[in-house]
Order: sequence, then C-alpha cells, then structure tokens
Amino acid sequence: MPTEVPYAADAEMSLTYDELEVLRLQYQKELAQDHVTTQTKFNFAWGLVKSPVHEHQVEGVKLLQDIYRHEPLRRRECLYYLALGYYKMGNFEEASKFNSLLMEKEPSNLQAQSLAQLINKSAAREGYIGMALVGGAAAIGTLVLAGLIRRARK
Amino acid sequence: MASSSSSSSQPINVKLLLIGNSSVGKSSLLLRFSDEQWLPEDESSATIGVDFRVHKMDIKGKKVKLSIWDTAGQERFRTITSSYYRGAQGIILVYDVANRESFEALPKWYSELETYVSDSVVKILVGNKVDKEFSRQVPTSEAQKFATRMNSLFIETSAKTAVGVREAFQEVVEKIIDTPELWEGTASKQSTSGGNGGMPGGVQTVGLRDDQGNRKEEGGCAC
Repeated sequence: MPTEVPYAADAEMSLTYDELEVLRLQYQKELAQDHVTTQTKFNFAWGLVKSPVHEHQVEGVKLLQDIYRHEPLRRRECLYYLALGYYKMGNFEEASKFNSLLMEKEPSNLQAQSLAQLINKSAAREGYIGMALVGGAAAIGTLVLAGLIRRARK
Repeated sequence: MASSSSSSSQPINVKLLLIGNSSVGKSSLLLRFSDEQWLPEDESSATIGVDFRVHKMDIKGKKVKLSIWDTAGQERFRTITSSYYRGAQGIILVYDVANRESFEALPKWYSELETYVSDSVVKILVGNKVDKEFSRQVPTSEAQKFATRMNSLFIETSAKTAVGVREAFQEVVEKIIDTPELWEGTASKQSTSGGNGGMPGGVQTVGLRDDQGNRKEEGGCAC
C-alpha cells in the first residue's frame, strides 16, 4: 500500500508568530481578569508546545502539567501534548513516559502509537550518535596507543 | 515556485481535510482508506487535535501525493483544528446516517468553511455508517439534496464494510485534478510545510473567531 508511516503532524508544524500571539493575548487577557478558562490555557499551551523555540516548549509543558493536575477530563490530550512537548525538547525519556501513560489507558490509540514510533526512532538515532562518539574516541585511543607502542619499539 | 509544476514525474500535492461532528467516523474512514483496516468502536479513541497521513495514488494518469488531515470533532479542539484549514484543496465533511444530530450540525461546518477556505475548494459530503441501515435517521435523498444545494459532491459510505470509501476519496481528488487552479503553481510548496506560509487573514480567526465576518483571501496563486 502506498501509505507512508503516519507521524505526529503536530510535531512538525508550528504556528506562525501572529497565530501564537493571538493565543497568547487571549491568555494574558484572562490572566489579567483573574479568570483563565481551561480552554484558553489549553489552546495557548498547544501553540507553545508546537513552537520551535525551546522556551516556548518549556512554558507549554508547564501549562499542560497544570491543566493535567486540575482537569481530569482533559488528561488524555494533556498526556499526548506533554509527550509531544518533551519530544520536541529532545527529552525522549519524559516524552516516552507520558506517551506510555496514554497508551496504558488507550492501547489501540493510533496517534499515541505513531508518536511512540517517532520518539523511539529519535531516541535510537541519538543513541547511535552517542555510540559513534564513544566508538570514535575508542578508535582514536587505539591509534594513539598503537603509535606509542610502535615508537617504544624503535 | 511555478516553474516545476509542469514536469510529469513530480507528484501533485493535494491537501485534504476531514471535518464533522465527533464519533461520525472520520478517523475510521481514513484508516479504511489508507490501511484497509477497521477498529471496533470500543477500541477506537477520539482524535486528539489532529492526525495526519500521507497517501500516494495515481489519478487520471497523474501522480498525486495526498496529505490527509484528520481533525478532532470534539468542540474543545475547534480552535486548534481551525488552524489546519489553510492550504486545503479538498474538504471531506462527514456525518453519521444513523445520527440525525450529526447531519443537522452540517450548516455549522459549512460556515466554518466559508470562514477558512476559498469557494473553489472541492467539497464532498459523506454519509458514513450505512452498515447501520436499520437505524438510519437521515434519508439518502434528503442528504443528496442538501449536498447539491451546498455545491458539494455526495456519497454514502461504511468504514466498517468499506462501501464507498475509496470512491469518496477518489471523487474529491479527481475533481481537484480537474480544477488546475487549485494545484498549479503551488505544487511543490504544500506538503512539507502543510501550507505554513503565514497568511495574515487566517490569523485572527485562530482563537478569536467571533470578529471575522469576511472570508480571507484565496489560498493559491494570487501572490
């Protein structure tokens, strides 16, 4: 079948600056009035988590954790976007933790499954790079050692 | 951008959007179409925000790369999903033939379309779950009439039994291919960015949807 592996579209696509601004202004407006609705907070958190800017992602995750604690009905989407947020930050361990929580509750959730694939792939790639660095260092070490031995023999 | 669109080896990028009330079967239609699978009701879960698939097909001798955006039907994702309309060339509006309410909600979905996409975008109305014929609440003729009035294609489907599913997608894409102004010149841009080229008109409508009476500018070639 000519279908590619599905992937978490939200991970790849960020809002424009202006779009995020709209969500931010709404949030700040309600904050100033001392009454922030969960919807506004969630919308803003979602926009932040999708952003390529690290500080945005951190802020988004913080808001989502807050919603998760106070709004039991919104937990599933919080788990998903928390996983996504940590994934975007490159924190694959936390990403995997939150995504697994969602998959525990909804084992056949296809979105969570494809996000899991994405997280694992990135974690594995990072692992390879790590191994390559270690391996490279070892190889250089061997060369230096070999050189020393050769020199000592002369 | 326009220079590369004529070469025949380059696939035409087409963006489709699935919209409609929650639990009408949008994700099931996509799963049936792309993976030829079906999940029973107790195993399927409501879409969070949006889901996405890429599917390649040949239509009328042209290679087409479909990006299909499957939006959450739940009200609480409405602001989020509205940001995905941008750049769509085809809209699949889904209701459940055994759920009158999902049919009655269609005018609301059409008015969203008026806000977010241009008139030339291809629309198809899909009455899903015809496998529940015994509990049908929306007659075919009534839905057909409504679709005609809304300038939309129409088909009835069952994601469960696969009836009509391939045809639904095929018909939209065929009509898009027959409308070159929808894809010419934008061919190479669409898929990777998901139509990310910041369109100020779409901006206000995210999150603040009440103050936007007039529809935004055309998606494609005006620039």
